[in-house]
Amino acid sequence: MKHPIYTTFGALLIVLLVVAELRGWTPMRPTEVKNIPRSIRDNPGAYRPHYRTFFGSGHYMRGK
Amino acid sequence: MSAPAVASLTCPQCGAAIELRTLDQALSVVCGSCGSILDARDPNLHVLQEFKARQKFEPQIPLGTRGTLKGEKWEAVGYQVRGIVVDGTTYCWDEYLLFNPYKGFRYLTQYDGHWNDVQVIKAAPDEHTSGGRPYILLHGETFKHFQTATAETYFVLGEFPWQVRVGDTAVTRDFVAPPRMLSEERTPEETTWSLGTYMPAAQIWSAFGLPGKPPHARGVYANQPDAYMPLAGSMAKRYLLFVAVIIALILLRLVTASRETVFATNSAFFRPGAPADSLAFVTPSFTVSGRTANLEVTTEAQVDNGWAYFEYALVNEATGTTYEFGREVSYYYGRDSDGNWSEGSRRDRAVLPSVPAGQYFLRVLPEAEVPTSFLEYRIVVRRDVPTLTPYLFCLALLALPPILVALRAWGMESARWKESDYAPSSDDDDDE
Amino acid sequence: MTARTAACPNCGATIEFRWSSAVQTVCPYCKAVLVRRDVDLEKVGMVGDLPPTSSPIQLGTEGRWQDDGFVVVGRIVYRYDRGGWNEWYLRTMRGESAWLSDAQGDLAISAPARQPGLLPAATHLRVGQWYVIDDTRFRVASLTRARYAGVEGELPFTTWDRDESLFADLDTEGSGDALRFATIDYSDDAPAAYVGEYVELEQLAARNLRRIEGW
Repeated sequence: MKHPIYTTFGALLIVLLVVAELRGWTPMRPTEVKNIPRSIRDNPGAYRPHYRTFFGSGHYMRGK
Repeated sequence: MSAPAVASLTCPQCGAAIELRTLDQALSVVCGSCGSILDARDPNLHVLQEFKARQKFEPQIPLGTRGTLKGEKWEAVGYQVRGIVVDGTTYCWDEYLLFNPYKGFRYLTQYDGHWNDVQVIKAAPDEHTSGGRPYILLHGETFKHFQTATAETYFVLGEFPWQVRVGDTAVTRDFVAPPRMLSEERTPEETTWSLGTYMPAAQIWSAFGLPGKPPHARGVYANQPDAYMPLAGSMAKRYLLFVAVIIALILLRLVTASRETVFATNSAFFRPGAPADSLAFVTPSFTVSGRTANLEVTTEAQVDNGWAYFEYALVNEATGTTYEFGREVSYYYGRDSDGNWSEGSRRDRAVLPSVPAGQYFLRVLPEAEVPTSFLEYRIVVRRDVPTLTPYLFCLALLALPPILVALRAWGMESARWKESDYAPSSDDDDDE
Repeated sequence: MTARTAACPNCGATIEFRWSSAVQTVCPYCKAVLVRRDVDLEKVGMVGDLPPTSSPIQLGTEGRWQDDGFVVVGRIVYRYDRGGWNEWYLRTMRGESAWLSDAQGDLAISAPARQPGLLPAATHLRVGQWYVIDDTRFRVASLTRARYAGVEGELPFTTWDRDESLFADLDTEGSGDALRFATIDYSDDAPAAYVGEYVELEQLAARNLRRIEGW
């Protein structure tokens, strides 16, 4: 086989691609938090997100 | 009966012993001691030229050494140093004359560590011109004109089947089709064509059993075989194979992605300026079913010269696992001296990775700064949507190796033709 | 062909002939040049020792060419201003003549042209002219004035009365058959045309080659 390294590299990349597509991987990295209580349903205004960075150019308003 | 391989002669200038290896084929022979060039056909060996070379050179293949090339035995019987002058600089190369009584003569040339195996060919090949550059078609190969120069003989040693003199000149034209080179040599008396094949120095060293390692070749020689061009070509073909596979995968994905809408608010209003916490709300619960797949959250807001920011938390009702993310939408437009302009987009698309099946709801906190007193927006959540990014990323990554090799090939060709008559003229002419 | 013998009129040694119809021969023992006059041999001169040659061909070398066997029976050594060559005379099994020219390891076999056509006189020869010989177009590539530097063995003509000769070398256009060539020989009153091919030693299946020490 010509170019064994390149072909293997390409094949692995394609396999990775297929796996990623099957598992639904995307580049986005939302903050994942466990065990949010049900009380958020009743009082959505009291919910405080767990990330600290700013997204986009919007302002993050905390508190009241 | 066995015929002697050499004839022993005496130099008329200095009396040193001379061995003639090619016997009746030699026309000139150089005395190894005093450097006089003698007429080998004359029984008295009259002097054709006294030693007048400006310096002495030492052949890398000592005369008399025998080597095996292509299964045939050859003996080095003559050595010449010739050179050309280009832009005031002299470039010298070695020429070795090899002899085998059953095969005749052959040549080896050496320049800057690059070796060539050369044979005289009988007929003058047909020459053509393309775009002002001459070329020759021979044996199915296209030989491109590389250089025309006047070669001068600077030094000779050994014997030759022609009358050689230091100071002899010939107009040479080289045509290349790597690894081969066709050379024409023109003197007023005759024109000779020869065909050379590039030979790695290591092969010469092992053929002649020379000691040590051959000196490193510098730069790229006129007919040095292309190491990278064929590689670039075949890698490009391999890349196209990958492209075909990836396109097939894209098509497959486009067909099999379910794009199922699991939740949508068709149109919601909100009044900007109200206290923040009071604006937060949760959506009704919706089902995400099927295998773990991506989840797309599209936010569309009718912002006109303003922005809107949505703080999302996607909560799995059963496990409590929550995905927090914030998305912004902004759109500005106007008119200036160049015409209409616009910036931003009223639509944002976020694709969450690997969301397992389950019951979910969204907690949303919208925020906006818009000129109007209300904002219309909609949120659509879909699962298992196709995205192009990973495929494009793979295509880009896989393109790198062939591109790198192609750059290498291009670099080598550049270096090769830099030495030719067709070198692109540089503004600053430095000598490398 | 059957070998014939005769006594050398000069030294009396018994000479064995490879070819019964040789016109001129050289006694291998005393180097007398002998010419056949009817049945007898007449001495017409002497030839000096030939310089040692590195050619693998010698008198008696046998080989095959174009489905015909041949034997080398004679040799002429030519010299010109820029070199020299050996011209070996061959007799084939079918009783025909051929010449094997040998210079700097390049071998070429030629035979008299069957259809020489109209050949120019020596004074009208110019490099670049075209002639059709044996249905092939040949172009005059070079003119060589060569002198007779020595003879050996049996030849179909006399050379002792010759000093030098003019030869025209012709090649075919570079159409792929670069190996074919023609020669016009002006050693006689009438020009004689020969057509031939460059060959490698291996192609001749040569036997009885000169054994060269060390090779």
